[in-house]
Amino acid sequence: MIGSVAGASRASRIAFLVPLLCLFLAGCGVNSIPTYEEQAKAKWSEVLNQYQRRADLIPNLVETVKGFAKQESSVFEAVTVARAQASAIQVNASTITDPEAFKKFQAAQGQLSGALGRLLAVSESYPDLKSNQNFLALQSQLEGTENRISVARRDYIEAVRLYNTELTTFPGRIWASILYSSKKPMEEFTVSEEAKRLPQVKF
Amino acid sequence: MPRRAILCVIAWICLTCAVAAEVPSFPALTGRVVDEAGLLTATDRAALTESLAAFETKTKDQLVIVTVKSLQGTPIEDYGYQLGRHWQIGQKDKNTGALLIVATTEHRVRIEVGYGLEGTLTDALTKVIIENSILPKFKTGDFAGGIKSGTQDIIRVLSGDAETIQSAAERNVAMDVKQTKTDMPVWVAIVAVLAVVGLLVLCTVTGGGGVCQAIWMMVLLLLSGGRGSSRGSSFGGGGGSFGGGGSSGKW
Repeated sequence: MIGSVAGASRASRIAFLVPLLCLFLAGCGVNSIPTYEEQAKAKWSEVLNQYQRRADLIPNLVETVKGFAKQESSVFEAVTVARAQASAIQVNASTITDPEAFKKFQAAQGQLSGALGRLLAVSESYPDLKSNQNFLALQSQLEGTENRISVARRDYIEAVRLYNTELTTFPGRIWASILYSSKKPMEEFTVSEEAKRLPQVKF
Repeated sequence: MPRRAILCVIAWICLTCAVAAEVPSFPALTGRVVDEAGLLTATDRAALTESLAAFETKTKDQLVIVTVKSLQGTPIEDYGYQLGRHWQIGQKDKNTGALLIVATTEHRVRIEVGYGLEGTLTDALTKVIIENSILPKFKTGDFAGGIKSGTQDIIRVLSGDAETIQSAAERNVAMDVKQTKTDMPVWVAIVAVLAVVGLLVLCTVTGGGGVCQAIWMMVLLLLSGGRGSSRGSSFGGGGGSFGGGGSSGKW
């Protein structure tokens, strides 16, 4: 009789220890690494999305500027080549954990930013172009897209910071070694020299 | 006793891990018109608030006007989206909010557009509004006039013709339906509460000791940890987010 009461008590203890353990594990961050990883991946998609949006704007912009400034062919050439190179790079979710691929992607986009900067700088010297409604609309769209890219990049950097910190600090580090040993830290953007350099205006 | 203490400590550590986010100091969201820089008269504010409220009733899009003295060294593009996110203007998950920001020290104006409105209030349109309706008046010192005509234009773009209203309404309705579907069913919450209560009763009856106390601790911590969001004013952001849409101008 006493034994069966003790047995029932043990069973009921196990019955609530299991859910309790689950709660503890969740509270201690067993899910944090996958959660942060998914968030960072989502932010990465947004970055790609905005870069794509910029690439989509370029042909129209180039055509419009060409209509007013045919002689600036070297600038058009540079933009077109840079756009083609940026589009040619294969980007997917694994790019963010591959330092080489990430660097390539960033360099190509930086190249395109520089070429676009020169295109807009050249446009400054054509008054007819500057007052063209189509050009103004495209210019504001490009500005807006560049701004979205910078917001998306910042959101991505923040998400990666959370994820990388979780991977390398307690208690995430323990979970990483037990359950998520294949997870690698993600790459962050650096401000490229190409993007920082102001377009040169030649006289 | 030591085991009980350890359990309590673990429960406390696990449940109080809060992420503190740094934000620049933003003005408080005191209404639909936040006039920190004092560019508007009380009559202007009242009239603008009324038209913004009517606009939200019609389309469910939130539009807020904010004037600040200084951007505290932040570019207006960065300030704008961060302020929009901070105030959470626009409906949650639909992000149908927009801000008209005026910074007097920096002579900058910006229309910040939430994710959900980017398709309607495009960058090009915001640029046109800023260049044609706002800046000419700002340049002559008529801030109230510029803000009023800019606001009118934004409202006209977002709801001017029947087609736009229709598409805005459809967008909001369609997303409303989707939202209710993804909401957690009530029965899940009920089952969860019953399970916790059952556990507590069970462990009290069987004399759970330390484990029982730990559960009580967790329940109490969870209850106390619920973040209440109380606002002084009757107007608040709906939970919308911003991603850098819109455009800026300088006078």
